[in-house]
Amino acid sequence: MTEQAVLHTSATGGAVEEQVPSMECDVAVIGGGPAGMGAALAAERAGSQVLLIERNEHLGGILRQCIHPGFGLSHFKEELTGPEYAQRFIDQVKRTDIEVLTESMVIAIDREPDEAPGHLLTIMSPDGMRRVRCGSVVLAMGCRERTRSEIKIPGSRPAGVFTAGLAQRYLNIENLAPGHRAVILGSGDIGLIMARRLSLEGCEVEGVYELMPYANGLARNVKNCLEDFGIPLHLSCTVTRIIGRGRLEAVEISQVDDALKPISGTERTVPCDMLLLSVGLIPENELACAAGVQLDPRTRGAAVDDRLMTTVPGVFSCGNVLHVHDLADNVTAEAERAGAAAAAWAAERQRARQGGPGCASEPDADLEQVPLEVRPSGLAGYVVPARISDRSGCRLFFRVRKPVERGRIRITSGDVTLFEGKPRPFKPSCMESAPVTGRMLAEAHGEVTLSIEEITGGPCDDQIR
Amino acid sequence: MDRYDIVIVGGGIVGCAIARQLARYDLAIAVVEAANDIACGSTKANGGLVHAGYDPAPGTCKARVNARGCELYGRWSEELGFAFRRCGSMVLAFSDGDRAQLERLRVQGERNGVQGLELIGPDVIREHEPRASAEATSALWCPSTGYVDPFEVAIAAAENAAANGVAFMREAPVRAIERTGDGGFRIVTDRAAMEGRVLINAAGNECADISRMAGGETMEMAWRQGNIVVLDHEARPLMPLYPTPTPVSKGVIVTGTVHGNTVITATAHERAAGDTETYADDIEALLAGARKLVPDLDCRRVVRAFAGGRAVIRGLNDFMIRRSSCRPGLIQAAGIQSPGVASAPAIAERVEELVREEGLALAPRADWDPHRCAPTDFDTASLEQQQALIELDPAWGRIVCRCETVPEAEIVEAIRRDPGAVSVEGVKRRCRAGMGRCQSGFCQSKVVRILARELECDPWDVPLEDAGSPIVYGPVKEGR
Repeated sequence: MTEQAVLHTSATGGAVEEQVPSMECDVAVIGGGPAGMGAALAAERAGSQVLLIERNEHLGGILRQCIHPGFGLSHFKEELTGPEYAQRFIDQVKRTDIEVLTESMVIAIDREPDEAPGHLLTIMSPDGMRRVRCGSVVLAMGCRERTRSEIKIPGSRPAGVFTAGLAQRYLNIENLAPGHRAVILGSGDIGLIMARRLSLEGCEVEGVYELMPYANGLARNVKNCLEDFGIPLHLSCTVTRIIGRGRLEAVEISQVDDALKPISGTERTVPCDMLLLSVGLIPENELACAAGVQLDPRTRGAAVDDRLMTTVPGVFSCGNVLHVHDLADNVTAEAERAGAAAAAWAAERQRARQGGPGCASEPDADLEQVPLEVRPSGLAGYVVPARISDRSGCRLFFRVRKPVERGRIRITSGDVTLFEGKPRPFKPSCMESAPVTGRMLAEAHGEVTLSIEEITGGPCDDQIR
Repeated sequence: MDRYDIVIVGGGIVGCAIARQLARYDLAIAVVEAANDIACGSTKANGGLVHAGYDPAPGTCKARVNARGCELYGRWSEELGFAFRRCGSMVLAFSDGDRAQLERLRVQGERNGVQGLELIGPDVIREHEPRASAEATSALWCPSTGYVDPFEVAIAAAENAAANGVAFMREAPVRAIERTGDGGFRIVTDRAAMEGRVLINAAGNECADISRMAGGETMEMAWRQGNIVVLDHEARPLMPLYPTPTPVSKGVIVTGTVHGNTVITATAHERAAGDTETYADDIEALLAGARKLVPDLDCRRVVRAFAGGRAVIRGLNDFMIRRSSCRPGLIQAAGIQSPGVASAPAIAERVEELVREEGLALAPRADWDPHRCAPTDFDTASLEQQQALIELDPAWGRIVCRCETVPEAEIVEAIRRDPGAVSVEGVKRRCRAGMGRCQSGFCQSKVVRILARELECDPWDVPLEDAGSPIVYGPVKEGR
């Protein structure tokens, strides 16, 4: 990679010479967690010159604080902790020519003004500002936790209210005790893991409270983290008031009705000095939005095609910044697809550039048919990808909005049923996928709908509640 | 014992503005604040609007200072280097009855000295703010309305006052005020006692207590509590949009902010004194009210909800800015409810006159500097400036708060300035670290470490806000 002072067009339109170092690469990967490392490695394997950009001091992302086991079962066929899982990838990255920038934050992604479509990243770091020109970009910035304000818990604003991940950071990275007696709101996986973690460190965990009538985390975490530690899980409950001036003193818990609204008269006060929130994760797409990437309002991740390319040509997305996964192994698998696709795009662009001005149109833009729009229906809360460009087939990833004992996948296009699955249970905590083959897509026109239909009247119907 | 010419009780926006105004004279001035930081009371629980001044009834104290305060904001913002946007505003009318109210407001505003008020129709409404409700049939256009970050204003005024010699004493709740032999005041606080010839009561919601201790007017306070909601950054900040007011309140207002967020402000319910809790019904009312003004508002993007109490003197429902009629030497800047932020610079001007009337010699200081050197905002600096900053100190390139792009150097500066941040929330109010969508989920532990390092204390001694709000309790395991 080359470092040079470059001429670029300033926002005001005039050309200014800047003494900001500039680099070039084929594929720039933003985020050095499992998604970013997976994508970078795949792009490098495909022959690309890769730059991996990480905001923190170390690669690994959130895995660094996930010291519990359960990682790697599908990817490495063995059970690893989060840091061990991350280390496998860090070691692989080190063995390659992937260039890694740590303590570096991308603050802008711009389209290059020249004829060949490329991207210009602006990066800040303690070493200075930097510009990177690249053929394609992989977004792998991960997600953030939903906060107390987003779910609008009323009450006071004392210390002691943490998102579960922040408490995990204090405990596992900072060696600082966040409290003595915890109430956990939300049965997401981080909340469950933290219930066990706090118990192991001698904190009292009064209970886990879940708004929905079912647990939100993986079944194995409910068993390993709550049942084995005698921590009660209270369903259809929520925190309706935070009490305490300086430090949290108690929370008020209420039961909720079928519409998830608190039932007046069911309030009870639970003393605690720590409230952990595990109430959902949200893809961190502010940088992507600023770059013009359109989001799918259902996932709050980018609306991507079957190659995981966003609505900005040459910008790809994978991992939790695309949609929130339940397992790091699945993030890795998705990231490898994004990395390979980004490498292919960058290579195509390179060929187009070398072919001269006449070939400077966007790679293979003319070769593609009009993409098929993909939509969720019925109990399917979302589907990734949002469009299918390559009709040779792909997998559709989705989650259901509520658990069903007997549900059926149906994939349709207009009036034509392309696929119908066998009845089986579906849970929101488990990301599912369904293949669509080239043969099926040959019959599709305009759009493809994936729906999960609840089959009623069956023998298991009573068990749904 | 320290002796001052003037002791100001209360380090909110009013106390800080008064301190800044008086610092131009050759006077010994102290500000005493009960909390561990300035701008911690109603000032921080505020929507940040600089109301133009058409709202107060003509002849009231509010009416005298509101329009003048709004006018002064331009100069104050330039001198003190805080963000202020005079963007104009609209009061939206949805019926003929509303329109009649707007006409009344326009006349009232003109009597209060507000200029440029104009009734406009739907087309002009859309020109001013395309996102305003299409249901609005007319509006009162007011070009002088603006918005600020209210704690930035208070902090800027305090820093400028401190730079010009004003002493700030924080964590100093006043316990007693005695009369000295020469008719002055002896103010006993938790930290120290001091004497002052003139006492200025700018104690916000505590102004009745201070007045009582000082032998001044008897006041009874009502805690008119308001909930406020902040939404995440928008591509373009919204123009302040008001509903047609009711006799009780200005109603639920939607506004952009200097940082590009959207603020929905505020409910008004009388609640127990000191209640700063948010309430589910209030939040719902705010969101519903806001959607009426801006139908496309995405209410999922709530970043923060908070609440505070307006310092209302029961029965007066006006500011009380005057020399005490009971106790010579006591100046009341009391009952500063809404529109306190908008009025603060004019309240300071008015208090300056009152100090003169007290007979203090107001000799201008030769070395008075009206300007404050504002802290550097990395996020809005040009690429060249950013590069230069990092070359100066690599901490300018080390990101801490990713949501608001705040590097470590900005946080260090927020702590080192005078009066500097001593808490995580104090850091947030000064440089926005933790103010974004993740609400410090990613950066809080880093901010705690930086505060501990700069203040030379342990992380478990770093408070979230006041003393008694520890974030962590000590090491999990020893020997690491």
